[in-house]
Amino acid sequence: MTEERPYVLIIGGGKVGYYLAKHLIERDYEVTLVEKDRERAEWIEHQLGSVIVMVGDGDEMSFLATTGIERAGVVIGCTGDDEDNLIACQLAKRKFKVPRTIARVNNPVNVEVFTSLGIDAPISATELLMGLIESELVGSEMVRGVAVKSTGASLVDVALPNLSVLAGRRLKDVALPDGAAIVCIVRRGQPVVPRPEEAILPDDELIVYSRQMDVEEVRRSLS
Amino acid sequence: MKIIIVGCGRVGSRLALALDQAGNEVTIIDERVAAFDRLGNDFHGNMVVGTGIDLGVLRRAGIEHADAFASVTNGDNRNLMAAQIAQVVFRVPRVITRIYDPIREEVYRELGLETVCSTTLIADLIQGYVVDGVNRAHATPAAAEPAASR
Repeated sequence: MTEERPYVLIIGGGKVGYYLAKHLIERDYEVTLVEKDRERAEWIEHQLGSVIVMVGDGDEMSFLATTGIERAGVVIGCTGDDEDNLIACQLAKRKFKVPRTIARVNNPVNVEVFTSLGIDAPISATELLMGLIESELVGSEMVRGVAVKSTGASLVDVALPNLSVLAGRRLKDVALPDGAAIVCIVRRGQPVVPRPEEAILPDDELIVYSRQMDVEEVRRSLS
Repeated sequence: MKIIIVGCGRVGSRLALALDQAGNEVTIIDERVAAFDRLGNDFHGNMVVGTGIDLGVLRRAGIEHADAFASVTNGDNRNLMAAQIAQVVFRVPRVITRIYDPIREEVYRELGLETVCSTTLIADLIQGYVVDGVNRAHATPAAAEPAASR
């Protein structure tokens, strides 16, 4: 991406692809969007004006070659089908040497599959949504971690059950797995800076940073 | 041999029946229950309803102990994804996938996937008959080989 405007190729013009294109154009990216359905493509072009919409199959090699894909800094697979996003990103990476591939993952289980098959950043909207919704559920003790980019780390939100064994203890005395840290206390809806001397109150919520693989251990050490 | 087939269309069902008759332990996966009608009453293998690109479905089909894996649905991407899961995630010793798009076939063969491209196979066979009058599709297997190995 040595040009002034980074070139991004988006495969799939559904809701996600459309709003993403819109968002990136507003931030001055050069965007080309690939959409199979001609009517949908024309509609998007009409709505966005300044975006190039190409009608074609994002998994067809000969078609991809006409999109200027080889100068793209990023290719984003945004269709509703995991297999199409995977193959489009793999072709981009392996055949056209695109440095970074981002794929929308519809089945959360496939996040790991995509990683082992070479996709730089698989993103599961389903998983993110589940995590956010779960964090709003009253009475849930601990919510699913939210992944921090593709670092393999996670932010875990822990609400202490009443009479928790941790109430009254200072943060510096809480044992956590190596590499994990309490990054925020949420007290009566307000964020509190987690100073080492700070004592935990019964209704506190803790936001913990940890490696994905240690999330279960964090759960154990806090209950 | 324990063999998993993804896709119970014309190719998948025929393949499943042949491998079953030859005494293999066959499990066939398809999203539509009705697809298994193609197998008739003589099939002794297992049928699993689901998509071949879902780890849970593949585990249910016994992929962890499979000796061979063939993805033969009519979707190239689905086949390529299923085959890569079998090869990379579950390390099935023998994995083969059917592909329609010759260019995609080339890319994935370079990446170490075993592939059969029906488009090039059939075009080559028909070209062979048109040019020299020999229909290799109905010749002996040995004679058919040069056409198959592009």
